[in-house]
Amino acid sequence: MAHHCCSRFLDLSRFRVLKGNQVISCADILSAMLLRGIGQKLQMAYGLNARLLGFLKSSRDKVILPCGDIAALVYLWNPFTIVSCVGLSTSPIENLAVVLALFGAVTRRVPLAAFGFVMATHLSLYPATLAIPIIIILGYGLDAPPIKLFLQTRSVENEKSSTSTVSKQAKSKQTTHLPFLWKTVAHFLFWVLLWSLYVLVLCALSLNKYGGLEEMFKRTYGFILSIEDLSPNIGVFWYFFAEVFDFFRNFFLIVFHVNVLFMLLPLVIRLKHRPCFLAFVYLAISSILKSYPSVGDSALYLSLWALFVNELIDMKFSFFLFCGYLGISLLSPVMHNLWIWRGTGNANFYFGNAIGYACFQIVFVVESVSAMLNHDRALRRSSSNHGEVKS
Amino acid sequence: MATEKRNKEEEEVKTDDGSPKIKPRPIVQLGIFLVAHSPVFSVVFSAAGVLALLILPLLAKNTYISENALMPGSARSMLSNRDVSDGSKLVKDIKNYRLNHEGQGVEVQKLVGKYMSEMVAEVYYQKFHPEGNQFHPLHFFSGPDSYTLLDNVSCASYGVNVAGIIRAPRGDGKESIVLVTPYDFINGGDYEALSLGITSTLFSLLARVTWLSKDIIWLVADSRYGDYRPVAAWLSEYHSPSFKVSDLLKCGERNTADNFRRAGTVAAALVLKVDGRSERFEDTLSIYAEASNGQMPNLDLINVVNYLAVHRQGFYVKVEKVVSLLSSSWLKIIGEIFEAVGKLAHTLNPDWNFGIPVADYLEGSATLASSLYSQALGIPTGPHGAFRDNQVDAITLKVSPRFPPDSKTRQHDFFLRGARLLEGTIRSVNNLLEKFHQSFFLYLLTSPSKFISVGVYMIAFALLVAPLPMVAASLYIEGCKALTKSTDNPTENLKSWKWLDAAKQVFALHLFGFIVTLLPYFICQVPGQHSPSNRSIMWGTTSSSLLLITFAAIPGCSPFTSRHHGTHWAVLKSVTISAAFIGLCLMSIINFATAEIGALLLVPTCLMAQPIKPALRSRRIKSMLGAFCSMVLLTIGFPVMFFAISKGLFGEGLVGLSLGGEFWTWLESLWAWKSATYLYIGMVHLPCWLLCLCILFHPS
Repeated sequence: MAHHCCSRFLDLSRFRVLKGNQVISCADILSAMLLRGIGQKLQMAYGLNARLLGFLKSSRDKVILPCGDIAALVYLWNPFTIVSCVGLSTSPIENLAVVLALFGAVTRRVPLAAFGFVMATHLSLYPATLAIPIIIILGYGLDAPPIKLFLQTRSVENEKSSTSTVSKQAKSKQTTHLPFLWKTVAHFLFWVLLWSLYVLVLCALSLNKYGGLEEMFKRTYGFILSIEDLSPNIGVFWYFFAEVFDFFRNFFLIVFHVNVLFMLLPLVIRLKHRPCFLAFVYLAISSILKSYPSVGDSALYLSLWALFVNELIDMKFSFFLFCGYLGISLLSPVMHNLWIWRGTGNANFYFGNAIGYACFQIVFVVESVSAMLNHDRALRRSSSNHGEVKS
Repeated sequence: MATEKRNKEEEEVKTDDGSPKIKPRPIVQLGIFLVAHSPVFSVVFSAAGVLALLILPLLAKNTYISENALMPGSARSMLSNRDVSDGSKLVKDIKNYRLNHEGQGVEVQKLVGKYMSEMVAEVYYQKFHPEGNQFHPLHFFSGPDSYTLLDNVSCASYGVNVAGIIRAPRGDGKESIVLVTPYDFINGGDYEALSLGITSTLFSLLARVTWLSKDIIWLVADSRYGDYRPVAAWLSEYHSPSFKVSDLLKCGERNTADNFRRAGTVAAALVLKVDGRSERFEDTLSIYAEASNGQMPNLDLINVVNYLAVHRQGFYVKVEKVVSLLSSSWLKIIGEIFEAVGKLAHTLNPDWNFGIPVADYLEGSATLASSLYSQALGIPTGPHGAFRDNQVDAITLKVSPRFPPDSKTRQHDFFLRGARLLEGTIRSVNNLLEKFHQSFFLYLLTSPSKFISVGVYMIAFALLVAPLPMVAASLYIEGCKALTKSTDNPTENLKSWKWLDAAKQVFALHLFGFIVTLLPYFICQVPGQHSPSNRSIMWGTTSSSLLLITFAAIPGCSPFTSRHHGTHWAVLKSVTISAAFIGLCLMSIINFATAEIGALLLVPTCLMAQPIKPALRSRRIKSMLGAFCSMVLLTIGFPVMFFAISKGLFGEGLVGLSLGGEFWTWLESLWAWKSATYLYIGMVHLPCWLLCLCILFHPS
């Protein structure tokens, strides 16, 4: 009996895996490879910056971790990725589009970046926020310590090497900001326009019989923005919008969606020197405040987080967060079982779990950002020490 | 607990950085205080947890009917003598039939069916196959398994259920109530036939009443192969029909192919059994409510039955209790202490009335212990368990009459009262407009009319596990400090990621636990007949060789590696304790009773675990005592050992060499019933126990 059941189950699952998972697992593997590429670029940039600031020569103890490999492994071995792959979710494909956009931006393949960006936005709308980090990457270049630091180091060195020869004029002429590559950005915007036109025309052609583009916008972006589907997920919106009175619904829809947009500007001001990290923060925030989040989104931002292991090595609460993520991800199926299957629990059980998950994600993002800022502060402190010692 | 953990980290950061001290917030200070004095607090909290468990019978509240629509006992019974005589006639006929035709179960089924159809019920017969108990790793937490029929069924062993449906005159056929009477058609006793009599009496009444708004299904389950299986088979056919024509249908003379009838969603189900003679003066009614994995039916259902049985029909109602606890002296002493404290409190303030007499306390604790035990085992205590798996509230009522089965005059009265009880209950459930949802689903019973709700009993558990995060935090800080001092290698100087090595070890052992949990499935596939002891030996040897491989394959995992490879024991213990904490919290939601009993065992073991070598080296009495305690706890904590000890405690005698076999049989019963306790033992208890063992022999 059991054997029979089991073999039947296995056959079924094998069949499914063969049929549907091929695309999805390919997407996952491709994303991991692209992440590795991004990581290698970032690692090179990190090494270059460290050398420029003079850390790498002086202290041999600072070993650069291969962040690309780590990120790719984190992405592939993350239980969230595996679950969303096995569950035939489409999030691996959305993730692939996002990673493609970032890869294109990091390697300065502008059409590719535009394509990834347009596809990601087309598939799940929220990656539209990534326009800001991508433009910064293309305009200013990769993640680096704040520009002030370089200036400081250079001025210290200048003072040391040449006391009077370099005129004060030259010093003041030293750029206080990097040049912004308007041309590349315009190039990018042009390609975005092109690709979106292309996608829209294709959609219009294929949806001709089904109501055209208007219907598509209503059914896709409208569906995301108006939160029509209230079936339980790991987010917090479904519960709230199941409870909210109908005449307040529009108001709260605006409030909830503005929440995502609200944080864009402050973050870009604070983190403009680290655009890739900014992309990670945006993705994490949108995965918390999304209308229909899934664990696949977490898989993406967790692997992007791993790109910054070198900077975030001193992150606080790592063990606490790890235990929290583990506990919540084990608890949520149990709560779901208790509510849906056994009928002894109720919606609050599962929603409580979702709130806990959101809290842990928020702590995670806040800690990552503060660890990154602390890293910058530590760099400044050590570089000024460095300078003092040298001079 | 979360705040404590966070607090711990904040404290750690401060000590690490040496940054200017900002005065922390009060809650942070409290957290730091708790973590700094964790040994004291862990003792206090654990003791409080055990005390809270002992105090639970005092905190039990009287049950009350929460759903207003139920209105038990508000309508007058309509049962007449004619109905009772119908029931008596059926019992008499069955008896006669059995005297004349020995061993012809089919005819008795036909007889019951005939009676049903005479009462204008729709009658049908369902054949089912008694299923063997097989381990299936994917069956835990799944819903009712779709009852797939094997292609090669033998006609030698199959059972036949008889079911009759009365359509409700006021209903729309979308809801129903199920009455189940398990009866062994081949060799059922005289008492068992009485249950058919009671239900038949009731059925005869229900066939002509006008107030029914839910259809009534009377299922006579063929209990030749146990009570549970026929009901489960009927339910799975009821809810998820299989459209494959099975060979089973061709067995026997009657073709039962496509006459299975249904009657809407089942609102509630009552299982009626009549057992041997009551030991008391009154007729006794025992209520069984525990379904698989400690699930309980809605408390309102028990309340209604209890209310009607006590206040209307004069039954003596009881729930199962651990009899040996009633005479235990230590519990009596505790009860006396509580009584004295209660009296003292009463003299101080007349409003404090929490004291209860010793006898009540003993009764309450014995019932509570039984309730905990059956919930923890996760095995349903009767056929009602099959209903709970389908989200239907159901209980088993076991009636023990005070007369011998052949007394005619008493039987009339007994049928009348039994049927009235059922009638009242059905009438109440019939009033319901929606599913049972008002009252509790998560509770423990201390008597038929007293319960402890989830909000109260969770306190005991929370107190018991509260030391775990505290001790984990303080150990984490301690271990990190020690590691920072000891490591000169700059590559390992990852400030906040020192726990990764320990986590690797913990993960490896949990993976090992997972594999060990699944091993029985493969052992069951080994061809040939093996005795349980042989199988347990196979299991034991495979597991221990796997453990050795794990130790060999992952450096730093084994307790016997050199000092430099391994992690610091404090960090390892911290991660172990966190894993145990997560596991216990998870289990407390799946099955509270298992988690409570598991925590009583696992929490002290985890807290006491210490490397034994420094303790022996130091030769101080305190550390020697600690090491001794942890060794004793670890010995008790080994699942097989605990099984043997609990068997000994329950007075079944130590079993010696056949222990392995008995343990195997016990586990087999657990997985056959899809009990999550089995998963807990394999995936939480065993890995944590092994990790504690690693800590004990840690070379530090």
